[in-house]
Amino acid sequence: MHIFKLAWVHFRIGVLNEVQYRISFFVQLFQSGLGLVTGLFGLALVFSHTNALGGWSRPELLVVMGVHILMGGLIRAMIQPNMERLMGDVQQGTLDYALTKPADSQVLISVREIRIWQTVDIVMGLIVLLVAVVQLKAGIGIWQALAFAAALLMGGLMIYSFWLMITTGAFWVVRIDNVLSLFEGLYQAGRWPIGIYPDWLKTSLTFLVPIAFAVTLPAEALTGRLTEPTTLLGAAALTALLLAVSRWVWRRGLKQYSGASA
Amino acid sequence: MFSSTIHVSQLSKTYFVPEREAGLKAALKSLVRPKMREVKAVDHVSFDIAPGEVVGFLGPNGAGKTTTLKMLSGLLYPTDGEARVLGYIPSKRERAFLQQITLVMGNRNQLNWDLPALDSFELNRAVYNLPRAEFQRARDEFIELLELKDLVHKPVRNLSLGERMKVEIVGALLHRPQVLFLDEPTIGLDVTMQKRIRAFIAEYNQRTGATVLLTSHYMADVEALCKRVIVIHHGQILYDGDLSGLVERFSAYKTIGVTLDDAMIDLSAYGEVMGREGGRVTLRVPKAETSRITAQLLAGLAVDDLTVEDPPIEDVIERVFAQGASGEAVR
Amino acid sequence: MRAMLDLYWNCIRMAILDRLQYRVAEYFYMIGMIAEPVIYLVVWGTVARSQGGSVAGYTAGDFTAYYIVWTLVRVMNIVLTPYAWEWRIRQGQLTGELMRPVHPVHFDLGFFIGWKFVAILLWLPMAAILILAFRPTLNPTPLDVAAFAVALWGGFLVRFFLQWALGMVTFWTTRVSAFFELYVTIELLFSGRLVPLALLPDWAQQVAGFLPFKWAFGYPIEVLIGQLSPQAIFAGLGMQAFWILVGVLVVAGVWRFALRRFTSVGN
Repeated sequence: MHIFKLAWVHFRIGVLNEVQYRISFFVQLFQSGLGLVTGLFGLALVFSHTNALGGWSRPELLVVMGVHILMGGLIRAMIQPNMERLMGDVQQGTLDYALTKPADSQVLISVREIRIWQTVDIVMGLIVLLVAVVQLKAGIGIWQALAFAAALLMGGLMIYSFWLMITTGAFWVVRIDNVLSLFEGLYQAGRWPIGIYPDWLKTSLTFLVPIAFAVTLPAEALTGRLTEPTTLLGAAALTALLLAVSRWVWRRGLKQYSGASA
Repeated sequence: MFSSTIHVSQLSKTYFVPEREAGLKAALKSLVRPKMREVKAVDHVSFDIAPGEVVGFLGPNGAGKTTTLKMLSGLLYPTDGEARVLGYIPSKRERAFLQQITLVMGNRNQLNWDLPALDSFELNRAVYNLPRAEFQRARDEFIELLELKDLVHKPVRNLSLGERMKVEIVGALLHRPQVLFLDEPTIGLDVTMQKRIRAFIAEYNQRTGATVLLTSHYMADVEALCKRVIVIHHGQILYDGDLSGLVERFSAYKTIGVTLDDAMIDLSAYGEVMGREGGRVTLRVPKAETSRITAQLLAGLAVDDLTVEDPPIEDVIERVFAQGASGEAVR
Repeated sequence: MRAMLDLYWNCIRMAILDRLQYRVAEYFYMIGMIAEPVIYLVVWGTVARSQGGSVAGYTAGDFTAYYIVWTLVRVMNIVLTPYAWEWRIRQGQLTGELMRPVHPVHFDLGFFIGWKFVAILLWLPMAAILILAFRPTLNPTPLDVAAFAVALWGGFLVRFFLQWALGMVTFWTTRVSAFFELYVTIELLFSGRLVPLALLPDWAQQVAGFLPFKWAFGYPIEVLIGQLSPQAIFAGLGMQAFWILVGVLVVAGVWRFALRRFTSVGN
């Protein structure tokens, strides 16, 4: 499919681009390492004072952390760079280059940037998950693994749709960089299972900013907490809805942009 | 005692730049063992500038103009040679030195972006510790000279490029510096604005006797303001003297403009035809041949009008630079 | 000297005018920033409740108080990062600043002081919402409050000078992020930012005592929530003064070399 070809081409260029800066890789590795150390430190501290947090055991919380790092890596490698570039293009009027290419504009602006070194986080997240899964007493079955993969994919798509809708807001409001720092802050909440948060926060993290779907749901899938298939089906429905809405918002935004460009 | 305001002797600035070729392998190799290349940005340059002079520093991009200016304002440490401004060694950055100079760079903003210029002026007053009465007098004088009355109340970001340059210059001159370093001050501005700013600088120089060192690649700046030019290329001085002398020295040609009754006559026998506009033909002839060819034209053809001019200075400069590039630097 | 006070007053004034224009952006940033303490607050509150009400002497209400006061202390101790230095140098801003006959640190300090006044103002409504939403347990004595007012600014100055000094590293390397991220991580763990210092294992608390970080973070918070005896409060103020002095000395000492480096390499 055309989307994948486009994505692959941009991926290759992105790699060639960034491989020049070998130092970047080590810097990223170092930073991710620091992030991991901080996370483990925090976890160790909590468990020096208690045995379980909100019903989650230590290896289960490690699973949450692993998913958090993994998803964070995905967002920073593939979603964030594209959205930041889109923001910049709208502010500087350079979006025209993307719009005059013979490809679907939404696809183009979604796949053209990649921060290859952020994939270090993806790998790191997977390693943490592996370690956590090994420690899980119950082990994992094939259905859990599949549910996990599905939840991960849906979570990613939901975050993408969310980002796209917010960034498209730039067509009307132009300066929305601040939303970035807002998201970063809120994403930190995903480090812990959202069950521990007060209700109002839980709802925000589920329906306002779909972090619950991005992190807690896959973690629940992997740790065998998803006993009813309706949760996953609901997530699938929500994902489809968000993708449709974000596409609609994108098209409206483009209309706004071409009307507004001087 | 130093009689010249700016004294420069064998001043040099050499950079070491890593050299990298294209391609993945070369990029990786250069991380391990980078190849360094020596770049002489300024190469043993010497000149003296007297108080009150307005000197133009001409040169193409990368010639060493800005580097020299930065060394004279204390921003860069010279690799070799000596520089003295108002008797101070610039790189020492003594407070008394900084109080008496100013650096204005075209396209760069030093005033607060979001607040009206007046607020930034007030800050500068505090920075330079100016007595309030003096400060207000200078400020109001400049505002009037540059017609800034309404503009100083608007946030700087809402001003046009030209207006911004005007307020920047005012901000830079509030402390009535003795030496002005202006780096491409009119770059990017429209013709009217350029003229305005040039006039202001000339006025400031007249009123205060300040010394001005101005870099530009707009000939018009130099022609309007400077009696003396220093031409610099590849870090070396190619010429230091009067502007008129520049043309004399470097131009081997003169331009003859002939307006004829019959516009279709081929004049290529007389000299190099540069252009044809309506009935007027522009010929380029060797300087020594000027009178002979002029006489020939007047004798042989029905001439309505004939002028003899120096070639445009831009052309002269271009040739000077071209000469410099091929190694025939003239000192 | 009068001229210095005049300069500072002008910087403060300009900063307030400038920053008030950006209050919306400021709010967005603050909201993103309070996510961090709210998360900690909830996590530790949960732990405290599961452990029969309190952990290491902190009840859930105590944790709430700690992390709400945290937000004010955090707002106050945000200062220049080395990235700001990188930007300055690359954009050529530094060139303009160096032309002035005044050390650049004065401009930064003046500007930040002005900014902090705006930040405190903007923080107040946010604090009100947090207090209503989470109901902290907070009963400070008048001494606690007075000392807190001082310690708050003390914490700012400690962090300001330390990071200003750290910022100068950018003159020597373009890869300053590695240093800085390590610095921030150590600070996070040993300052009272991640957890109240009392919750750290003993060895960590000892390490924290030698580092400057707790004086910018944990200490001011502890003053207000009433954790410290009067002697400890005054000893702490003394430590803040000590670390400010260290910061000032490092800045004064290293600046000359940083400038020398900048002027030989240019930008």
